[in-house]
Amino acid sequence: MEEKAKLSVEAEQGDKATILIVTGRVDGSSVGILESAVQEQINAGNKTLVFDFKELSYISSAGLRALLIAARLTQKEGGKALFCALADHIAEIFEISGFNEILDIHATKADALEAV
Amino acid sequence: MGKSPTQVLVVDDEEDLELLVRQKFRRRTRDGDLKFLFAHNGKEALEVLQEHPDVYLVLSDINMPVMDGLTLLSQLADGEKDIQAVIVSAYGDMKNIRTAMNRGAFDFLTKPIDFNDLEATIEKGLKHVQALQRALETRDRLIAVKQELDMARDVQMSFQPEPLIDSEHYDVKAVIIPAREVGGDLYDFFYIDKSHIALVIADVSGKGVPAALFTTVTRALLRAVTSKDYSTPGDCLTMVNDLLCENNPSCIFITLFFGVLDLQTGKFRYSNAGHNLPRVLRTDSRVEVVPKTGNIVLGIQPDHTYQNNQLQLAPGDTLFLYTDGITEAEDGKNTEFTESRLDERLAELSGSSSERVITDVVDAVQEFVGEAVQSDDITCVAARFLAPVLS
Repeated sequence: MEEKAKLSVEAEQGDKATILIVTGRVDGSSVGILESAVQEQINAGNKTLVFDFKELSYISSAGLRALLIAARLTQKEGGKALFCALADHIAEIFEISGFNEILDIHATKADALEAV
Repeated sequence: MGKSPTQVLVVDDEEDLELLVRQKFRRRTRDGDLKFLFAHNGKEALEVLQEHPDVYLVLSDINMPVMDGLTLLSQLADGEKDIQAVIVSAYGDMKNIRTAMNRGAFDFLTKPIDFNDLEATIEKGLKHVQALQRALETRDRLIAVKQELDMARDVQMSFQPEPLIDSEHYDVKAVIIPAREVGGDLYDFFYIDKSHIALVIADVSGKGVPAALFTTVTRALLRAVTSKDYSTPGDCLTMVNDLLCENNPSCIFITLFFGVLDLQTGKFRYSNAGHNLPRVLRTDSRVEVVPKTGNIVLGIQPDHTYQNNQLQLAPGDTLFLYTDGITEAEDGKNTEFTESRLDERLAELSGSSSERVITDVVDAVQEFVGEAVQSDDITCVAARFLAPVLS
């Protein structure tokens, strides 16, 4: 198969937060990759996570659930989860599902880091 | 209580093999680890196997009276049980050894028997038998799990509503095409009173049995809340949401659109919990997106108030409700069907019966997907308002 992995999550250690760059599609078959990336950061004691969605092309309801769980997990540890740089069609998914109301969403990575 | 010993059947008409085994494995038989049974020809061997169903390893000579070892092998191969046989033959008797292996013998030993080789071969045979047993047990467990999953799916499917009776006032049709795994799409329609019908479509996050259970519970709650004390769709969703939020540690959620059509006036009131916005097909071929109510999915945010919105249907207008299994259906090249393809297709269906709308949309999606695997449930409901009920 010439198809490359449909989802990758890359972690970047910042001063105030860990930035998770999510590239590709988050759906039922790939959501495990995102979940373990989040768990790995929590286990490492990184409780403030900024999800950079600049390269996120699609997110299904299973993916939204993973974000919700990430928000709850970081909160439980006394940190938080922020989300930034959503493409228009991703922002629309957040809006229709109402997730823009309960998740901490910012236009740019700089805005998100500012809000940490 | 220790576990019962592993049993091995030794078949030989002469005594030397039996003596050797008794001597060599005395300690292990005394420890209750191994137990040997003995027979003196193939026929006797079959009788012993009949009496002792948990023997899975046989060590057999070839030349014996009444029934020889090769015939015994064939009989074992024809039997239902998976019994492994190790054949004992004279050194250099390649012809018989070949025949035995071709008839399914697991291994062979040559006479005179070397003690160490005997022990190693029996060990290997027992390991093989155990691996086979484990594989069979795993297979049986998997079959049982699959049966339960199939049952879960059947139960879920059986909860889909009975078709509404034909009416001169409305025409409602729906379809759900489940993906292979038991999933979480739901549609429902029911009467609230003589002149109000409720339409529901929903999609739960994730798949599998937890998703199916969540869907089933949501449907039951919505029906219960609506029948007990109906005021507005938003009020019903507010109540259902609080009930779902009470105990949902795994953060499963459900997107759900709930609308009520007043058959006297054609007024359609609805509330939307994060679901894809339905469409209205007007008789002049316009396709309108139902205005949003801006509310979150059900199950994760307690004390949330669900808003109502409403629109007016004229006779001949059709409501079209769907799940993202339609718009996010993919062809083999990761291209999605999308809302624009859906709207184009719907525009051609204005004035059609609900049956026709459903069939055409599903056909279009399936044609688009082609040979690719259907990864999500495909669900849609078409509800056409025909003529008002006179009060």
